[in-house]
Amino acid sequence: MSQADRPSSTAPGATSPLLVHPSWAEHGRRVLVTGASTPLGERLVRTLLNDSRVEHVMAITAEPADQGLVTDPDPDRLSVVQVDLDKERRIRNLLFGPARDRGIDCVVHLAQHRSAHARGSRVHAFNVESLRAILELAERHPTIRRIVVRSDVAVYQVQRDLPVLIAEDHPLNLGGGAPQWVQDRVEADVTACARMGMSALEVVVLRMAEVLAPGTGSQLFDYLESAVCLRPAGYDPMINLLTTEDACTALTKSIFNDAQGVFNVPGADTLPLSAAIRSWGRLGLPVPGGWMDPLYRWRSKLTGHDFRYAMNRRRFHYSGVLDGRRAREVLLYVPAQPIEWPVDPLGEEPAAATGG
Amino acid sequence: MAAPTPTSSLARLIASLGLPAAELERLGALHFRDAGHGFDPFGLSPDHVALGESVVLPLYERYFRVRSVGAHHIPRSGPAVIAANHSGNVPVDGMLIWTDVLRQTNPPRVVRPIADHFVPALPFIGTFFARGGMVGGSRGNAQTLLEAGELLLIFPEGTPGILKPFRERYQLRRFREGHAEMAIRHGAPIVPVGVVGGEEQLPALFLSRRLGKPFGVPAVPIPAVPLPLPVRYHLYYGEPIPVHERYRPEEADDPAVVRAVCAEVQAAVHALIQRGLRERPGVFS
Repeated sequence: MSQADRPSSTAPGATSPLLVHPSWAEHGRRVLVTGASTPLGERLVRTLLNDSRVEHVMAITAEPADQGLVTDPDPDRLSVVQVDLDKERRIRNLLFGPARDRGIDCVVHLAQHRSAHARGSRVHAFNVESLRAILELAERHPTIRRIVVRSDVAVYQVQRDLPVLIAEDHPLNLGGGAPQWVQDRVEADVTACARMGMSALEVVVLRMAEVLAPGTGSQLFDYLESAVCLRPAGYDPMINLLTTEDACTALTKSIFNDAQGVFNVPGADTLPLSAAIRSWGRLGLPVPGGWMDPLYRWRSKLTGHDFRYAMNRRRFHYSGVLDGRRAREVLLYVPAQPIEWPVDPLGEEPAAATGG
Repeated sequence: MAAPTPTSSLARLIASLGLPAAELERLGALHFRDAGHGFDPFGLSPDHVALGESVVLPLYERYFRVRSVGAHHIPRSGPAVIAANHSGNVPVDGMLIWTDVLRQTNPPRVVRPIADHFVPALPFIGTFFARGGMVGGSRGNAQTLLEAGELLLIFPEGTPGILKPFRERYQLRRFREGHAEMAIRHGAPIVPVGVVGGEEQLPALFLSRRLGKPFGVPAVPIPAVPLPLPVRYHLYYGEPIPVHERYRPEEADDPAVVRAVCAEVQAAVHALIQRGLRERPGVFS
């Protein structure tokens, strides 16, 4: 194994002997979190460390190992490992190296490219192939029993003849014209779903509403950063927004639940787009729909903003609100933290371009 | 909590100008599923319901002088389907039934019109209608609303009903069966409604499918008159068909049962129309 492929663990005890995993009931969870340097990942790691049911958290970051995830890390409870998840071999070395040594029994996969402009085979490998590898390797892993995959509301098709309330069996956004950002998310989601019931591995897919926070890859957050927010005249669709707190709650509940399947994770805020703009303290300016794409292309070119209207065109015309009934009934997840408007753009530490 | 939207504030203001204080107070008792910001998940807002009533009221009371018969048949609570004939080239009938249900029920109920797919896609109109309770005609939308105990307004004839030639007025088009199936599945009684007056409001010379294309509308009627005529509307509510008492929900999968219920609804609507035609003194009275 080359040095580059070897996971670098900063926590002591990474070379401890293989743990023979007892049953779920006999010990606390040992959780591996990919995308741990993202705002959501960081919050999840902190939450898990504060949970007495968790014995150990292994935080996987794409950037150099970051002990700043917690202010006073307990090395027995937290290990931070730097791994680029774009190569199957590196993932194998991680899962059958430090993860096995730590007796990791649950993987929470949050790592995804956040930039809508990112494209190419490397991005695809990071977004999709890494998850495929994790799922395949986890099936024959000696300690991993459960995988929780963060998916996204963007996997769903939104159009005029589809229900406003989006259940888990809603049509997916499989259009060939969808950008790679969307296609990768759909493929990753379907890849995880395809593994359900194929082995003893429990797979949970959480299709989350848009997390309105910096560094989460939220297109709407980027859109709302402008002082003037253009929207297509004559349309004011209903949207649903999630806070990192509620997203974290849903992830935590998934870790400690035995159920598997696909679950929508809505947020506590369901409101028209115009109300979101106003609540943010922005000026909403209706313009002819045909102007939106060129104007936002220019904005992106001039300012480097990530928001792409073409990717969000239908969401800006037709309502699409996640139906969280299944998550409420099975995971006992109920959104409880509404957004504190306006969202402080500096309230969270900005994260890097990739979520690894 | 989000600040009130400018459109909500404006809606309240306009409604307060157009409606008496007592009516505004009555509308305050309107029950809706607030998703947290003064809107339900489909976009209905009580402020816009009041605005809608204030806008439609002059048409309802003075222009079309709506006469409502049998409104006591509208269920005061629980899921139900109002099934009406569709007519008139422009959907005035939907607006008038919406207003009539709002005014005839206390506490007020907002009937949720189920519209054809092209309606939510219409700029301004689609949004305004959604604020008043309209939803797009997908099975999922209707099911969600019935599960939530709401009152639906369905025109089982669909667009072919509203775009009939004048010479075929009051001849019902084939009823689609979806409303019957959903009513059985969700234990909702069906209230048949016969609408008389609409067929004469805007006689069309012909229908242009080409003009409709840019708007996603099946066809645009080219009317013989510049504005809808001040015909008098008569709304006849029939006795509810208690499908929830006659059938089990799983019988919604039986095509024969669904067909039979659909035929019963169509026959009831037909009978109400015939009664209305017999009872009205003339088109404008």
